[in-house]
Parts: sequence; C-alpha cells; structure tokens
Amino acid sequence: MPETSAVQQSEARYRGLLEAAPDAMVVVNQLGEIVLLNVQAEKQFGYSRDELVGQPVTNIIPEGFAERIIADGTRTAAEALEQQIGTGIELNALRKDGTEFPIEIMLSPLESADGILVTAAIRDITRRRESDARYRGLLEAAPDAMVVVNQLGEIVLLNVQAEKQFGYSRDELVGQPVTNIIPEGFAERIIADGTRTAAEALEQQIGTGIELNALRKDGTEFPIEIMLSPLESADGILVTAAIRDITVRRESEARYRGLLEAAPDAMVVVDQAGEIVLLNVQAEKQFGYSRDELVGQAVTNIIPVGFAERIIADGTRTAAEALAQQIGTGIELNALRKDGTEFPIEIMLSPLESADGILVTAAIRDITVRRESEARYRGLLEAAPDAMVVVDQRGEIVLLNVQAEKQFGYRRDELVGQRVTNIIPVGFAERIIADGTRTAAEALAQQIGTGIELNALRKDGTEFPIEIMLSPLESADGILVTAAIRDITVRRESEARYRGLLEAAPDAMVVVDQSGEIVLLNVQAEKQFGYSRDELVGQPVKNIIPEGFEERLIADALRSTEDALAQQIGMGIELYGRRKDGSGFPIELMLSPLASGGGVLVTAAIRDITVRHAADEALRVAHRKSESILNSLNDGLAVFDKNWVYTYVNEQGAKIIGMRVDELMGQNCWDLFPQLEGSKFFENYHRAVDTGKSIHFEDFFPEPFNQWLECHCHPSSEGLSVYFRDVTQAKKTDINLVKKVEELKRSNEELEQFAYIASHDLQEPLRMVASYTQLLSRKYKGKLDSDADEFIAFAVDGATRMQALIKDLLEYSRVGTKGKEFTAISSEDALRQALRNLRGAIEDSETVITHDPLPMVSADEIQLVQLFQNLVGNAIKYQQGKAPQINIAAFKNRSRRWEFSVGDNGLGIEPQYFERIFGMFQRLHKREEFAGTGIGLAICKKIVERHGGSISVQSTLGEGSTFHFDLTAVEGSAA
Amino acid sequence: MIALLEEYMPVEVLLVEDSPGDVRLTRDAFRETNESIRLHVAVDGVEAMDFLKKRGAFASSPRPDFILLDLNIPKMDGREVLAQIKKDNDLKTIPTIILTTSDSEADIKKSYELQANCYLNKPVQLEDFESVVKSINDFWTTKVKLPQQR
Repeated sequence: MPETSAVQQSEARYRGLLEAAPDAMVVVNQLGEIVLLNVQAEKQFGYSRDELVGQPVTNIIPEGFAERIIADGTRTAAEALEQQIGTGIELNALRKDGTEFPIEIMLSPLESADGILVTAAIRDITRRRESDARYRGLLEAAPDAMVVVNQLGEIVLLNVQAEKQFGYSRDELVGQPVTNIIPEGFAERIIADGTRTAAEALEQQIGTGIELNALRKDGTEFPIEIMLSPLESADGILVTAAIRDITVRRESEARYRGLLEAAPDAMVVVDQAGEIVLLNVQAEKQFGYSRDELVGQAVTNIIPVGFAERIIADGTRTAAEALAQQIGTGIELNALRKDGTEFPIEIMLSPLESADGILVTAAIRDITVRRESEARYRGLLEAAPDAMVVVDQRGEIVLLNVQAEKQFGYRRDELVGQRVTNIIPVGFAERIIADGTRTAAEALAQQIGTGIELNALRKDGTEFPIEIMLSPLESADGILVTAAIRDITVRRESEARYRGLLEAAPDAMVVVDQSGEIVLLNVQAEKQFGYSRDELVGQPVKNIIPEGFEERLIADALRSTEDALAQQIGMGIELYGRRKDGSGFPIELMLSPLASGGGVLVTAAIRDITVRHAADEALRVAHRKSESILNSLNDGLAVFDKNWVYTYVNEQGAKIIGMRVDELMGQNCWDLFPQLEGSKFFENYHRAVDTGKSIHFEDFFPEPFNQWLECHCHPSSEGLSVYFRDVTQAKKTDINLVKKVEELKRSNEELEQFAYIASHDLQEPLRMVASYTQLLSRKYKGKLDSDADEFIAFAVDGATRMQALIKDLLEYSRVGTKGKEFTAISSEDALRQALRNLRGAIEDSETVITHDPLPMVSADEIQLVQLFQNLVGNAIKYQQGKAPQINIAAFKNRSRRWEFSVGDNGLGIEPQYFERIFGMFQRLHKREEFAGTGIGLAICKKIVERHGGSISVQSTLGEGSTFHFDLTAVEGSAA
Repeated sequence: MIALLEEYMPVEVLLVEDSPGDVRLTRDAFRETNESIRLHVAVDGVEAMDFLKKRGAFASSPRPDFILLDLNIPKMDGREVLAQIKKDNDLKTIPTIILTTSDSEADIKKSYELQANCYLNKPVQLEDFESVVKSINDFWTTKVKLPQQR
C-alpha cells in the first residue's frame, strides 16, 4: 500500500504541477494517445479534457510529434525519446475549431506504471513565429550584417548584408560553422564549455561590441565588431550577432590615435567602466607615467576625484546621459602625478563611439599657471578700488570683490551664482548674452571699453547710478565678462549741478567730446545758434563752429588731447559761429576741460562778440582818428606812466626825438636817455608829477640829439603827458637874436658911452668958450665997437646953444647909460616931482594941471620924472594965447599895461609930423618962437622904449595934443 | 685983534687944475669975493704932490688951508692925489674939495671914500661957476673952522 501511496502521491503532485504549469501540458503514451492534459492545453487547443484524453495526439498535433516518440523499427521508444529530450521542436497544432497554429513542444519523459510517458510542454509560438518572421524581416532590413548562430556555432540565419559583407550566398552559409566567417573569437564565446553554460557564456557577451577579424569568401580579412544578443528559439537560445565592418572605423581609430598623439593637450580616453583605454604622449608627460602603466587602469589613478563619477552610469542615469551632461564643459579637478604630486587640471570631455560602447575622451589641461593667474586675478580683483563683478555668458555672477560686496550690500556668497540682473536689473545682462543676432563674443566686443551708465540695486532695495566698464576674460568656462562698477552718484550730482550751472550760465555753453561731437549744450546755446537741443547733441561741433575749434582739441599724431587742450585753456579764442539759418557771427571761445566717464570733455563758453567787434571796430576807428589827430599834431606828444615808461608817443614826437615809436614804447625814459639826469627835463618832469602842476620850460637835449626842446608837461593820474617841440631853430634864432641884441646892446652902450664921453669931454672946451665969451661980453660990451659987440653976441649965443645941445645930448645918452633898474614906483609921485621941478614955469604960465589917480608902475624913477617933466614942460611951452590946461590920465589896456595920456590944449601938431617929432633934434618951430633943442621927445621915446612901452601922439592942430605911452603894471596897482 | 689978524692973514689955497681957462676963472672969481686968498696952482698931480710935500721947486711953498682938486688932471690924476693926501698924516688934515666936471656917481662915491671933504661939480654956465667959487670961499673961509697948522 505505501508504494501505491507514494506513486499516487507522486502522481497527484505531478497532476498538480501539470495544472499549475503555465504552458499547455499534454502527456502522451507510447501509443501516441493523450493520457493527461492541463487546463492550459484545454484553452490552447479549444478542447475540453474529456475530448482529448484517450485520443491520439495527432488530433492536436497532426504531424511531427507522434512519430518522434513512437518506437519504430530503427530504434526503441526510449532511444527515440532520448533524442528529443530537451529540444524545442517546432510543429503545427490544430485547434478544435480547425485553425492551425505553430507550436513548440518540449518533451520530457515520465516514468509511470504504464511505461514511459512523454510529457510535452506545448507552447503556442504564433507570436514567436510572427516575431521570427518580423525578426527575419528586421534581420534582412538591418543595415548591419546579421548572423544568427546556434549553440553549436552553426549559422542558422543571416541577412543579405551578411551575404554582401562576407561575399557568400545564404545557402553557402546556413548550417555552416560560423568559424568559416569569423575564425576566431566568436564561436568560443558562445559555446558552452566546461566552465559555464552557453547561457552564461552568452550573457557575458551581450551588449558589448567585440572586435574580431572576419574572413570573406575570397579569403580577404577585414576587421569587424560584433554585437551579440540572445534570441530564444525552439532550437534553444540563438545568438544574433550584428556584424559591423569596422575597416573604416579602424582607420578612423588609427587616425584618431594619430590625432590623439599629436594633440597639445594630454588626452585620455576612458571607457564606461572608468578605465583608461587610450592616452597620448602628452598625458604620459603630464602624469609622469608610461602608456602601459595607465592603459587599462582606473582613471581614478590619475584623476582621483570628480571624473569617473561623472561618466559612469549609475542608478540615476545612463552612461550616455551622464556623459551628455559633461560634454563641452571644462571641469576643474585635481590630478595626481606618478610621483604623487597634485596639480590642478581642467578636463574637457567629448564622447567617442566605439565597439566597446561610448568612450569618453578627456582633454586634460594643466591649469597650474591658470590657477595662479586666477589667484592673481582674484587678488587684483580684491584689491581693485572699484567694485568688480565677473559674469559668465549666462549672465550669472562668477566672481566679485569686497568692493562689490560693500557697494551692493551683499555678502559674496549671496551673489555668486546669482543672476547679475539682481544687482543690475537692466542694461547689463542683455548686452553680454548671446542672442539670435550675435554671439556672446560679438556682443561683448561691442561693449568693451565703453563706460555704460546704468542703474544698480542694493540689497536694501535702494537704487543708485553706476558706470560699468567691461572687459573680456577668457576662462575654461568660456569668455567671462569683468565689469568694473563705479558708483557715480556723486558724479551724477555733479553732472546735475553742472547741467544746472550750464543752463544758468549767461553765456552759451557747449560741451564737446574728444571726437568733436556736441555732448551737452544749454538754452543760451540753443538761442544763440538757433537750434533746438536735439538738433545739436551728437552732432559734430563743426556744424556751429566751422573752423578753428575742432582742430584745436582733437588729438593728432603730434599731441594727445590733453596736450592739445592744455594749450587752449583759458585763452579767449576768436572764431566764427554759424547759426542754423546759415548766418555767421563773430564769437569768442573760452575753453575748460571737464573730466568725465567718457574721457576728457571740453566745455566751451561761447560769447557772441558782434557788439564787441562793432565796439572794437568803433574803438579802432576812433583810435585811428585820435591817432591821426595826435599824429597830425605838429607837436610831439609823449605820455609816461608812473614808472616813467613811455605808454604813448605820437609820430611827431618820435620824429623829434629821432627814434621810432616802437623803440620808445614800453621803455623807461631815464634808462633810454641817461644823459638827461640832472637836466631840466628830469627836474621839471618830476616837479610836475610831484606838485601836480603843469610846467612849461625849455631845455637843451644833449648828445646825441643836440636839440632845444620846449616842453609843456601836464601831470595826470596815470603819470605825465608832455607836449614838446623842437625849438632848436627858434632857439638858434633866439640865440642869434640874443647875440644880436647883445651886440646891439653893446653897440648902443658903446654909442651911449661914446655920446656920454663925447658930450662930457665937449663940455670942457665949450665951457671955456661960453664962459670967456661971456666975460668978453661983460668986460668989453660997449667998450669996443658995435661989430665987436655983435660978434661977441653971436659967439656967446653959439656957445650957449652948443652947451644946450651938448647938455641935451648928454641927457639923451644918459637915458640908456645912467638908466637904473626898475622898481615899483608910484607914477603919481613921479608926476608930482616933475611938477615941482616945473613949478616956476607952471606958475608963470598959470597952467592948470589935472590928473587921475595914477598907478604903481615898474619903472626907473628918475627917468619917469624926466618923462613927465618933458611932456608936461612941452605942453606948457607949446602954447599960444591960452592958459595951458593939462590932464594926465591912466588906464589898464588889454595887454595889462598902464596907458598914460598927457593931454593939452596947446598948438597941436600936424599929422605928417606925428612920427618925426620923436626924432633927435627935430624941431617944428623956429628958435625964436620956442626954445629947446628938439631932443625932449626923443628922450621921452627913449625912456618909454626902455620901459618896454611905446609912445605916440594924437593931435589936432590948433586944439591940442595928447601924448600916449604905456608902462609895465605892478601887481596890486589900482585899476 | 685976532679977528683982524685973521682977516688980515692970507688964505693959502692950492688949486690943482690943468685948464688955464678954468684957472683964470677960478682966480678971478676968488679975487672978487676974498682978496686975502692966495691961490697956488698945480697943473698936474705930480706937481700937486711936490707942492704939498714941498719938494723941489716947491720947498718953500706954504701949506694950503684947503685944496681945490680937479679929478681929470694929467700925470697923476686927481683921485690918486686925493688918496695920497689923505694917506699922509701930515697932509690929511687939509680939507680937500673936489671941483670937477664929472658928475658921475662913481666919481662922487670914490671921492668921498678917499676922504674928500666935499665934492663940487664945475657948472657949465659962467655965472653958476662964479657962484660956486664964491660959495666955496664963503663956506670954507668964513664959516668953517680950520685947524691951526702952521
């Protein structure tokens, strides 16, 4: 019974298993009758169990099954079976509904009480067939040569590419060992051997590209790469090998290796396992290894950290994805040399397809120097006075310095990696980021060097104006932009203030940059030139000042703008301005420099000097007029300032001095003419200035000029003006005159002396004659005859007359020789004295004399007495019948001299004698009528002329005469 | 008695004059006015000094009571004579009257400087001349006190 239980139990278990099996299971006896089946089989074939148990299996599998398992003459059932065990057999199956479908059966023996049964696992391989078909289709369509190989290494399938590739037709290859075409390296890989199963063997190969050599029909070899993939089939696992002719790739690889070797950078090719596949000589040098020491080694030997991780597939991404992230970017890592020293590197990765999968080519650059530069750069950055911010092409802040921190109120870490728009909202990022119209490099190139004014934003939200100056910075990450950021708040204020001042300035103000373009102008400039501001800003200043301005400030080969400008600062430059309407007008420019973010600007104050020009012109005309007047003066005019420097000399003056105007102007007169020291010029000039009074004088201007100059010097607040005249000629004449006068005087004196001496010496003998004839007369009158009496009488008379003549002559001559100096005397006193002297005659003739109050005169008293005495005496004498009436009057004439008149009622004189009577010894009457020698009036004339006056007579015959003479007045005399 | 004696005593007058005409006029004029005047005449300055110094022919000449001296005389002119007279201790007390035609201020001044006792111009007219001589006599012989020196 236990045996039966065991068998039953085993059967039960077996049935359980059968039912549970996923596949359709049919158990067939050696007769080919279905003994058992499971539900899957029911479903698969569309029968119910009952309908199949006991039926011949050929009902469901018409052919191919039964025969296999039934004993026949050639073998026993066991033997027959044995041959089938394990193999998947593809057959056709028949459903109840008559439809066919392909199956694959797997047989396995089953011992039972009934003998050996065959269990067939029946798989509906409709899909697989379709797959197979599809697969075949794919196979055919595959670009690569595809060869399907079974576990015996026999070619099961191939496609047309394979035919072409190997030069065989399909038939020649199917069923042949694959080694015909791939001698080595393939079959071994996939065939089960003692160490592993075929499945295991295969698994190791799946997915990897294996490089092998292939053999064509014609015997030529060529390199291939095969990619294996398993293929389940009824025949077991097949291996599909995609075979790629890698001849070209090999060449590429060779070329690549060449490039690799030639590359300046160290190049290392790493596979997805992180092992070094290739390297070049630079890499050997850089890392200090030989090639062999590195190929096949983990790349972490030379790049410990940061590389391998990046490229190896991990749970989160595939190797391809991992790699894709790294491609193109420079990654900074630390590298390790063979000798253990570390050095910083930057790696640039690029993918490389290979039979072994995607490899990674890493260009490795030793960035030790760059690191140092960077460190230095960072140092400079920190030390920079301005805030410096380095931005990448995405507009993110890469670096900044402490100034930037302060300026924006952020900490460094709050800004690095942030968008620069956080601190410079507008105007910066746009400028440097590549957009559709240009590359980042081009974008940047446009910005380099120019100061750009923008608004910046502090952490606290306040805005402030900045000026940024950009410069490019190459880095492993591409071109970075360094921005020097200057807070121009103050400058803005200054600018605002400046603009305010500019607008408020009375003059037109124009600010021009170094290229001659107008940057700023004020409203005055608008008015002056007739433009609106917009029409001028940005325009060349030549538009309004055609010539003379731009040239002055533009740097040229000879000087920098600063130098050019320095030459112009401060000077008023006269030029012409042009209005919008085309009219021109004279202007004066005053330039001053103005430092700005954009370089040195020039501020020009522009003044319309039309009026001034007109005024200047008028002044010039007036000046010319006065010049011509001054030059037409006959006199010389020299004007000195307080330092005795000639500030003006007219032409006449220069001519007189005998030098040119320009030789005199600006010179100190005493330096020019040292010989004038101590002269009257020196004395009088100084006196005039000191006293403030004009002085008129003459002096001799010594060597080399030898001139007499008559000068009128007039002091003024500025100095001294001197009108002068060359009077040398006149002086000579004067001198001549003086000499002549001297001679005349001497001659006169001699004559007078002569007259005096003559008359004096004549007196003596005359006295004898006169005296003794009188004695004769006294003694012998009446005692001799009448003739004697008469003779004596004539002699006496003659002598007497001679005495009178001599006396008068003496008196006449004495007027000059005995003349005394003039003093201030009362002419009235002189008259009275004269009248006293004439007392006898006056009384005898009963003359009535009247007179005006008579003035003080400058005269010789004795001679004045004599003068009055003679005139009054004449008036008394030359009378007939009437009692003489004489009046003496005096008045001050136009020349401020006293004119005296002595008027009488006497005989009068005929006009033709008016002159003659003043001659010597001129008598108009007979001796018998009137006594006198006729010298009286001559004496009067001489006296009057000696006194600087002249004498004349007015007379009417029969009525009287009036004698007129003039004398020098004395100050303080009565009018 | 003394008055009579005085009246009787002759007045010695030295006339230094080179013009004979003037000498006669002077002598006649003096004679008319004072007969006691004894007029001695020197015709030039040398003679005048010889007379006064009683030299030579003039050894026994009297000392004049007063001298009438013309300035314009030959050999030694009157000014020189005057100077010598007034330098001489003995002679200087003799009143010396300048009687000359010159009315030059210079001559007048010089004369008085040389201690002339007075200065007279010879008038031109005869009558005036006689009048002056008379005046001299009147003044110098009747009015003036002369030193007694014999």
